[in-house]
Amino acid sequence: MPETTSTIIAFVCNWCSYAGADQAGGLRLDYPVNIKLVRVMCSGRVDPQFVMDSFRKGADGVMILGCHPGDCHYRNGNIKAMKRSILLEQMLPTFGIDPKRFRLDWVAAGEAERFKEVVTEMSETIKNIGPLHLKGFVESEVA
Amino acid sequence: MTVMQKKSLLFLCKCGANISNFVDLDRIADWASKAGHIDLAESHNLLCSPDGKKFFQETLKQKKPDTVVVAACSPKMHEKTFQELAESVDVNMSYIQMANIREHCAWVTQDKNEATIKSIELINAAAKRSFEAEPLKKMTMAVNTDMVVIGGGIAGIEAALSAAKADRKVYLVEKEISLGGAVIKTEDIAPSMECSPCLLAPRLSAVRNNPNITVITNAEVNEVKGFYGNFTVKIHKKARYVEESCIGCESCFEVCPVDVKSAFHLNMGTEKAVYTLFPGSVPAAAAIHKESCLHFVDNSCNACMEACPFGSINFNQKDEDIEVTAGAIIIATGFAAGDIAGIKNLKYGAIENVYTTSEFERMVCSNGPSKGELKLKNGEKPEKIAVIHCAGSMREDGLPYCSGICCVEAAKVGMLVRKQLPDVQIVNIYQELVFPNPRDFSFYKQQCEAGTHFLKSDNISSVLLSEEKERIRITALGIDPVEVDLVVLSTGLQPSESAKKLAEILNIDLEKDGFFKADHALLHATGASLDGIYIVGCAKGPVNVSDAVVTAHAAIGDALSKLVPGREIELEIMTACIDPDKCGGCKLCITVCPYKAISNNADKHISFVNEVICRGCGTCVAQCPSGAAKAKHFTDNQIYAEIGGLIYA
Ligand SMILES: Cc1cc2nc3c(=O)[nH]c(=O)nc-3n(C[C@H](O)[C@H](O)[C@H](O)COP(=O)(O)OP(=O)(O)OC[C@H]3O[C@@H](n4cnc5c(N)ncnc54)[C@H](O)[C@@H]3O)c2cc1C
Ligand code: SF4
Ligand code: SF4
Ligand code: FES
Repeated sequence: MPETTSTIIAFVCNWCSYAGADQAGGLRLDYPVNIKLVRVMCSGRVDPQFVMDSFRKGADGVMILGCHPGDCHYRNGNIKAMKRSILLEQMLPTFGIDPKRFRLDWVAAGEAERFKEVVTEMSETIKNIGPLHLKGFVESEVA
Repeated sequence: MTVMQKKSLLFLCKCGANISNFVDLDRIADWASKAGHIDLAESHNLLCSPDGKKFFQETLKQKKPDTVVVAACSPKMHEKTFQELAESVDVNMSYIQMANIREHCAWVTQDKNEATIKSIELINAAAKRSFEAEPLKKMTMAVNTDMVVIGGGIAGIEAALSAAKADRKVYLVEKEISLGGAVIKTEDIAPSMECSPCLLAPRLSAVRNNPNITVITNAEVNEVKGFYGNFTVKIHKKARYVEESCIGCESCFEVCPVDVKSAFHLNMGTEKAVYTLFPGSVPAAAAIHKESCLHFVDNSCNACMEACPFGSINFNQKDEDIEVTAGAIIIATGFAAGDIAGIKNLKYGAIENVYTTSEFERMVCSNGPSKGELKLKNGEKPEKIAVIHCAGSMREDGLPYCSGICCVEAAKVGMLVRKQLPDVQIVNIYQELVFPNPRDFSFYKQQCEAGTHFLKSDNISSVLLSEEKERIRITALGIDPVEVDLVVLSTGLQPSESAKKLAEILNIDLEKDGFFKADHALLHATGASLDGIYIVGCAKGPVNVSDAVVTAHAAIGDALSKLVPGREIELEIMTACIDPDKCGGCKLCITVCPYKAISNNADKHISFVNEVICRGCGTCVAQCPSGAAKAKHFTDNQIYAEIGGLIYA
């Protein structure tokens, strides 16, 4: 499916991954247009409900990107994110969602190339799996 | 019931051509005019320019919007700029939302049509998010500007003196009975070879004479409560059984019948049961080894009491618990000498006349156990001495790292020996030589010229010592065997024994190697991982005296700039808070908070955030099963609205 019609929501921490994405911009690194970022202060802020909500509202893929382990601006929020993600990945199939539609990864502030790589890979993955149709699950409009 | 549709005022920034070349701003304007929830302000060529800022303020004043979306660059660039501009015209900063259509759109999307659609999605999401915003309030707090310095080595001394000079009250806490740390146990400081006691003596008397500094020795910090600007520090001061009136005249030493192995002399000499570390110590007062003193052992002796001209001996002195308050805490607890007991090849403790550099320094020190005279166990003078570099360093069964300063110490051995025994042959066996600055390197060159022979082994871990008649034989890969009378093992520096305990008490991080971790290795290298706590000298990693002092001054400079009498400190605005009506008291938030910012009210069975400590990571909010915890400006509602806005534009 074409990039423009699929949507990938990426929750990115303010200190590393958002900054990494900014740097990708600074370096004019072209990456798939379907990647849309939601800034949070730390990957530890990402409630698994945010991921589910994204799928529910029509995202075809969801990512959480944070600082590399050991580098979290708040010591270890990313480790919390990792623990939650493991549980989340196990739960996704029960909602009929291929766990490959979700990805947790680490991108440092200086890793513009890596940012591009990680999101491009995700975009490819989603292209291969195709759109997500969550039956009876989709909200029609959001206030 | 009809609810008035909230409207967001949209500013479109062209950013010169940086945005307008890649995104069709007219199409966005067209979309905005039809969207219903957006009111369009004109697009501006450069919104962050003086002219642009004025335009922004004026438009806000005139239109009094519900919320504002600035579609421009990264919020990391200018969110604060526009928030402050808004505040200046009485619009709460929370209502300013940026849509990053430059870094995350214009610059990374080749197709202008696609970039335009994505921009619309980002703007829509920003607007939707902004409608969920709740006003934010800047918070400030009055602070205590005094300081507690833990550790009275050169770094702690210099920190205390600098802070005191700025008229801050300083509590200088030292676990030994007097100040001085490792430097006072050495004779000369390489590479300048300044005499250590001469360097320290004036600094010690400056501490003693400074009314702003309270020296608390024989003491350790055992509890710290509070936070940046408002710490309460509990100090346990052990009884020394000698009152402050003691001037250290040593009259009692002569009459004391008990000899005790001296830790100050690294067990190579003795001191009396009543002792000082060295003449001229600060504080001057002696102390009594309770375990050995006959008065305490069997009540059979009062000799010191009778001999003291000042009536300073007080066998009834009690331990004291002292509580002080401060705005900042400086950790200057230094290092411990690298432990080589486990490295069998070096035969440390098994063969006579094998010493560590620390022991060697004590031996040649004029305040040392032999008053500085270097001799072998049998009383004779050595003829040949070997120095083994990296003893126990850079190996997994020892210290896995290079301490970076021991090569200079190892090179210094030859110089110290030649000072009293000019004809002794010195051979330094090494694998790597590390001289991080030009002065250290020229010092090494001087030592080569002065006669120290540097021998390179292929593998320093292969060094093996053995006894060979009266001498010590050294073999190592890549060198011919060497026979000497005395061996100095140049050990590395490891974290001080109390580092781990202190890190727990203060809730700060250690590096993998066990030294205290800096808040930021480059930008805030003397800050610990919590605000208001500093790490200086060898507490932050092995450093030489010069760097120990530099870090002490740097830390105090930073602390002084942040803790100014009469000025309140600004607190993190986007903290978490907990709704007491929703909190179920499960304490999950407490288990995840990296800063221990959350406490539980046992009576009410609810948790609450100390917003002074909270840094706003939001981890507790994601963990809370009751929806009680809220991250200010990153609320669930804001994020859900943003997600929706990105998908349904
Ligand atoms: C053998 C040897 C030779 C050296 N030679 C040189 C040289 O030639 N040139 C040079 O520049 N550097 C040299 N150094 C390094 C130098 O000693 C250090 O740079 C310096 O001592 C660092 O000072 P500091 O104040 O950070 O730590 P320290 O000198 O270790 O002082 C730390 C102080 O904190 C106290 N303390 C520890 N824990 C606590 C606690 N929990 N509570 C209260 N107090 C505590 C200790 O008792 C001590 O007094 C040498 C080091 C060694 C081991
Ligand atoms: S937001 Fe982070 S720092 Fe603040 S209380 Fe929650 S977990 Fe602790
Ligand atoms: S996690 Fe939520 S419900 Fe549990 S104690 Fe913390 S704030 Fe209260
Ligand atoms: S701040 Fe980046 S993951 Fe915590």
